[in-house]
Amino acid sequence: MSVAALAAAIRSGKRKAIEVTEERLADIAARDPLHNCFTEVTAARARAEAAAVDARVAAGIDPGPLAGVPVAVKNLFDLEGTATLAGSKIERDSPPAARDGFLVRKLTEAGAVMLGALNMDEYAYGFSTENAHDGPTRNPHDTTRIAGGSSGGSAAAVAAGLVPIALGSDTNGSIRVPASLCGIWGVKPTYGRLSRHGSFPFVGAFDHLGPFARELSDLALAYNILQGEDAEDPAQAFPGIQPARLDAEIGGLRIAVADGHFARGGHPEAFAAVAVVARALGATRTVTIPHAAEGRAAAFLITMAEGANLHMANLCARPQDFDFATRDRFLAGALLPAHWVQQAQRLRARYRAEVLKLFAEVDVILAPATPFVAPKIGQALIEVDGEDIPVRPNLGIYTQPISCIGLPVVAAPLADPVALGTPGGLPIGVQLIGAPWAEATLFRVAAALEKMGVCAAPPVRKN
Amino acid sequence: MSDFDLATYAPQVAAALGLPLQEAHLPGVLMNLALARRMAALVESVPLTPQDEPAPVFVAGPAK
Repeated sequence: MSVAALAAAIRSGKRKAIEVTEERLADIAARDPLHNCFTEVTAARARAEAAAVDARVAAGIDPGPLAGVPVAVKNLFDLEGTATLAGSKIERDSPPAARDGFLVRKLTEAGAVMLGALNMDEYAYGFSTENAHDGPTRNPHDTTRIAGGSSGGSAAAVAAGLVPIALGSDTNGSIRVPASLCGIWGVKPTYGRLSRHGSFPFVGAFDHLGPFARELSDLALAYNILQGEDAEDPAQAFPGIQPARLDAEIGGLRIAVADGHFARGGHPEAFAAVAVVARALGATRTVTIPHAAEGRAAAFLITMAEGANLHMANLCARPQDFDFATRDRFLAGALLPAHWVQQAQRLRARYRAEVLKLFAEVDVILAPATPFVAPKIGQALIEVDGEDIPVRPNLGIYTQPISCIGLPVVAAPLADPVALGTPGGLPIGVQLIGAPWAEATLFRVAAALEKMGVCAAPPVRKN
Repeated sequence: MSDFDLATYAPQVAAALGLPLQEAHLPGVLMNLALARRMAALVESVPLTPQDEPAPVFVAGPAK
């Protein structure tokens, strides 16, 4: 049942929000120990919010378009009364958040019921959600494999059906990578579109927030509800509410496949996925995103430096309390020569200008979301083109060059990974990339792909 | 990009910052610095002009 249908049933009094909430809480208690998505289940809060929704319905007041819909958020979102962990041990010592983050308020004001906080890579610095403090999140399609990250708990919770909508963050690929590996929809909006106030930062220059869903209509609904002006996010450039619609009308759109950097460095299934989507859309032309590898390198350096600067006090005082997977990268980031970082920021501006020129010729660019399907939990290396390369940084090879210049992306899951011939029939996704503020165009393309049966969340087979 | 000795560089810069580097953390730090050096070389491979300003742009305040 779609989120809209569930909310409609609750708004009309056919279903009670409290019953839906109890059902979700019981399901999470039964199944989450396997998946390890939740780091905190806010059961009391959820019951109170559900009761409030039911009371509104009983009083003839419309609770909103997400009436009684269960949601959960990556544990870097502020939830009032709960310490915002951002995947860390260190923040367990922080005081509880005084109020919900902006996007959390948007969801609950629309009637959603908050079920809890979800696992992630520490401080969002990773693509695997193998968290040393909370354990790894397990991919619902194969629980011996990673969910991707850093919003892995969010993506796996949605893929497993624990919640229909979850929020994540994406600094270098942390929505698009787990969406691909878990086979669900995700949107990383244009930089500056959605407020980030009330979320734990990582790299201010690249941080984005956005939703995940199994159904495209649910993703669009969540995305539309999350839009709103917020003077408290200094990076927000609010263009007004620009709702996504799923009219599947793509006639006249110029769609091209990214070549060069985006056509190498991955396994065959990553490129096969792009080819299937391109064929369905009639996209025959290719486009070269100039300096993508160099732009990615710039993002890599800026991430290291900004992340290290953010955590410097704790790196000095309590390095042993960091996750070993992030600690050494943060420490190294503190030591980068200033010239490297400044040059990276200058190249980033040049790279953005070059890429923006492409949108005079194309409207949507197709690229792989991940270079391969989900690797095994604990797997350090993977073979690409005959060479063993580290899994963790390379999961973001195709996402990182896009987020560092703020372009909007819809991550679209291939509906039939078995027919695509992916290893083990595991899911994989494709990036639909647009010009700044062109999310509505991307949702139209996504709707066309869904209508053709090419993109949809593949069913989770029993583990 | 000079192939400078990271094992000498890292403790010196860490000391300048007052950042204690534990022996056990050093191999991972050096590995990540070596990766960053490769990334910096990629960045440096693109010639820039004095007109290529950094991406973050300061705004004094809203235009009146």
